Amino acid sequence: MVSQQSTRGKKNAFWVALAAPGILWLAILFIVPFYAVLSIAMGKLDQLIAAPVAVWNPLHWSSSGVIDVWRDIFGANSFAGPIVLRTIVYTAVASLLCLLIGYPAAYFVARFAGRRKSLFLVLLIAPFWISYMMRMLAWIDLLSTGGYVNKALGLVGISPVNWLSGNSATVVLGLVYGYIPYLIMVLYAGLDRIEPALLEAGRDLGLGRARTFWHVTLPLSRQAILTGLLITVLPMLGDYYTNQMLSGAASTSMIGNLIQGQLGTPGLESQGAVLSLMLLVVLLVPMIYYVIATNREAAT
Amino acid sequence: MPRRRFLKGGAGLTALAALGAAGAGTSLLAGCASDLTGSGTLPLPRPNNPVKWPVFAGNTAVKSGLAAEQGATLQIYIWEAYINQDVVNSFAKKYKCKAQITTFNTMNEALSKLRSGLTYDVLVGATPDVLGQLIEGKLAQPLNHSYIPNISQAWPDYTNPFYDAGWQYTVPYTIYTTGITWRKDKVDENPYAMKNPWAMPWQPKYSGRVAILDDYREGICLGLMKNGIFDLNTTDYKQIGLSRQSLQDLSSLVNLRISNTDYSDVPAGETWISSAWSGDMAAAESYMPKGVNVDVVGYWFPADGRGPVNNDTMAVLNGASNPVLAHLFLNYLLDLPNALNNISWNGYMQPLTGVTPQVLIKEQILPPSLTSTVVVPSNFRTGLFELQLPVDADALWQQAWLVVSNGI
Amino acid sequence: MTVTNTASTKATPDAPATGPRWRPWLNPWRHPWFLEGFTWLYLVWSLVPIVVAVLFSFNNGRSQSAWQGFSWRWYFTDHTNSVLHNPQLHAAVIQTFRLSVLVTVIAVPLGVAFALGINRWRGPIPMTFNFVMILSYVVPELIFGVSMFIVFTTLFSTVHLGTLAEVLGLVTWNVSWPAIVVQARLVTIGRQYEEAAADLGANQFQVMRRVLVPLLAPAIFASAVLVFSGVIDDFVIVDLLSSSAGNTPMSVIIYSTQHGGNGGPALNALGSIMLAMSLIIVVLGYVGYRLLTRGERGGGLAALAAISGES
Repeated sequence: MVSQQSTRGKKNAFWVALAAPGILWLAILFIVPFYAVLSIAMGKLDQLIAAPVAVWNPLHWSSSGVIDVWRDIFGANSFAGPIVLRTIVYTAVASLLCLLIGYPAAYFVARFAGRRKSLFLVLLIAPFWISYMMRMLAWIDLLSTGGYVNKALGLVGISPVNWLSGNSATVVLGLVYGYIPYLIMVLYAGLDRIEPALLEAGRDLGLGRARTFWHVTLPLSRQAILTGLLITVLPMLGDYYTNQMLSGAASTSMIGNLIQGQLGTPGLESQGAVLSLMLLVVLLVPMIYYVIATNREAAT
Repeated sequence: MPRRRFLKGGAGLTALAALGAAGAGTSLLAGCASDLTGSGTLPLPRPNNPVKWPVFAGNTAVKSGLAAEQGATLQIYIWEAYINQDVVNSFAKKYKCKAQITTFNTMNEALSKLRSGLTYDVLVGATPDVLGQLIEGKLAQPLNHSYIPNISQAWPDYTNPFYDAGWQYTVPYTIYTTGITWRKDKVDENPYAMKNPWAMPWQPKYSGRVAILDDYREGICLGLMKNGIFDLNTTDYKQIGLSRQSLQDLSSLVNLRISNTDYSDVPAGETWISSAWSGDMAAAESYMPKGVNVDVVGYWFPADGRGPVNNDTMAVLNGASNPVLAHLFLNYLLDLPNALNNISWNGYMQPLTGVTPQVLIKEQILPPSLTSTVVVPSNFRTGLFELQLPVDADALWQQAWLVVSNGI
Repeated sequence: MTVTNTASTKATPDAPATGPRWRPWLNPWRHPWFLEGFTWLYLVWSLVPIVVAVLFSFNNGRSQSAWQGFSWRWYFTDHTNSVLHNPQLHAAVIQTFRLSVLVTVIAVPLGVAFALGINRWRGPIPMTFNFVMILSYVVPELIFGVSMFIVFTTLFSTVHLGTLAEVLGLVTWNVSWPAIVVQARLVTIGRQYEEAAADLGANQFQVMRRVLVPLLAPAIFASAVLVFSGVIDDFVIVDLLSSSAGNTPMSVIIYSTQHGGNGGPALNALGSIMLAMSLIIVVLGYVGYRLLTRGERGGGLAALAAISGES
């Protein structure tokens, strides 16, 4: 129908207008700086002051930074291989823990909290309001040799554990602690939307609790889980301060620490940029999957 | 309290490997010469090779006899937690101005921001190894000595230090040594009695309780000295590689902690052996937990003075909006009562003739058990300074440190 | 499909009828004690350090593990080092608030509009920018900060380092929160409400205002929380883009002090003040939102549902 087509044309313009400011903003303030990173990664080094010099013209880009970093990871005398592996393992374990701990909590608050929902929400949000650093500092204090954690363990007869010196469990738990509030918020926002009628329908049809969960709730929360994992796993891979604050040992360092080291060293900034870009390339795969999955959901 | 330079950094072993193949003396960067830009090299000050920095036209000192700026805010750019707010406040009161402190965490960050055009009045905390970049990069301005008569209170060496002949650009702020700190009640050994005290951290029985400073120069220097090498500005890749290897062994031997929080970890008993800066340990008393006496903390520095010594300087920045006030501030900190007030909070010694161990103990700034943290004028002459390296050698040091701090 | 529960012959329709005896743990409508207990356990683990931090901000000494008596010292009585008197800490609190409010006010509408627009506009451009937006989330913050630093000091050098640069950088960094969260929720909502409203004669603007935005309210609220807290916590970007003590927020001071010095309980005091003020803002915002949408929200949806025949 003619009127439908013209409304569709008007429809399009409206949504375009909504999206336009965001698009412009990203173009100017993200894509351009991204290009600046590329220019540093492929750029030159000022030999007088060992500062990086950006090379804007792609024709003059040099690949020596890429070669150096590649050799660091895969070359004959590479040292970065174990770091990459360790980062993947820590992130996988931490993300799994985040999900196992966060999903039940978010589910409870979204579905069963009833009148106390606001109270729970405030409590869930509270970690956001005190700086992450402060929470970490408090944990460092609690985990010190004479701190309350070891004292509590002592009550049960376990001798004090050295938590803060190269202990991978501490780093993983630190990652979980730092990122789980984000996961819970996103899961809550998604789970809140699930129609209770659908769950009741499942029960009416005779599914027990566990099977209702498995066959009804979980598939409906798929998008929320996906989004939640996206916002936890991907930044976790680039995290460096958790290890820096909670361990400080080389045996637990992650890729983020390596990048930070390079970016903070005169003369090695370009390698830091290269390593970051390589990390991004790796992260592209789950990102593309997320975008496709989201679009598929939206189309149905 | 403070400190600083935790330049974690470096990159591949590839460079070291390449050098190994090519033989000694090959410049690291020769292979990728096309990737370098700019020209020239900086003069490298050494104790036996003093450098008189040039004064550039267009960046000359302020005229003499000017009055202090009125109603101004003095902008101080300094390491985090490195000056007593009291001292700053009393300066502001005396000269009827305001003073704002902006801090930085690493020297690299400070230099990047200064190069990007940010201006402050005073830069506090530049060590001699970055003076070349500061001065040749026209980030600092020459001093007008007529505003700083209190230089007479500093050690005589500072009117003509090797890193700044004729004290054209800098005055000293603090002086400190790098030694080993240990807990006498937890550790059996006494470094004073050991044959090679620099090897003290290399003991597996203290696994989990050993730390070293998070600084690429200090770290590699420790490795060098443990192996009996005392040229702390070496460009020999073999020596650097040896140091790196020792540090990697240390890392796996004791699950080494690399951090700059020794100043509180050792008094708290978390760490039992650590490399440390003298100023950090001088302040140990305020970090002791209740009921533990500061006597249990020890600080060792070689008796013959052959260990790392370094200076933090103060300079007036080019583009300072209040240059006269800036000069007056430098002068203020060279005055003994203000220096003592600063040291009582800061811990780090200032090289004034009036600052002696006796005075420090009498003013109860320093406990008698930590007199080893005091630096004396002879240390300036016999000590080993960590100074500016040529760019390619510096890259070797950085790479080695990156591997040590990240690569297991 | 097998029916596991035969029809109940008991008077209480809730009880399962698999056997003669009432088994409370098989009641599907019972309160989930396990889940609730688990949630409380998580909350304790999550909040204990905060409680400790707030507690020790009132400590009379410098220690953060040994209680040395109660005092307001770090808040306002200590003349040099308390939050009130130390100019650096003072400025930091103000700057943190300035940044978080400014950035939230800019980033949330920007992100929500972006999410709505991208979601409904089909084509290669929106897909590309959706991708770019997710990329902006995934980029390691350090490299993003460095790129901002380069751009603001060389390319766009009229915006030199300072509060404006910080705001621009933080908005760019945080705009992905509302965009991602709102998009996720849009997907779950589906289009039926919009279509119903359109059938009833609403134009797009009305649809957006009266149907979509209220439906998206929890997601918008959640993303505002995320942005606000993201800004409070951020120290990587701001550290690189700050130019003086006047625009250095709390997070940078805490990070620097942890590495280089020890500010002691004054930092805890800072954090506690932030916590208190933020709680007040959240409560005010929530109350305000409930007041504003009290009539509309439930009413609008119920009316729609009734007219379109859904029960």
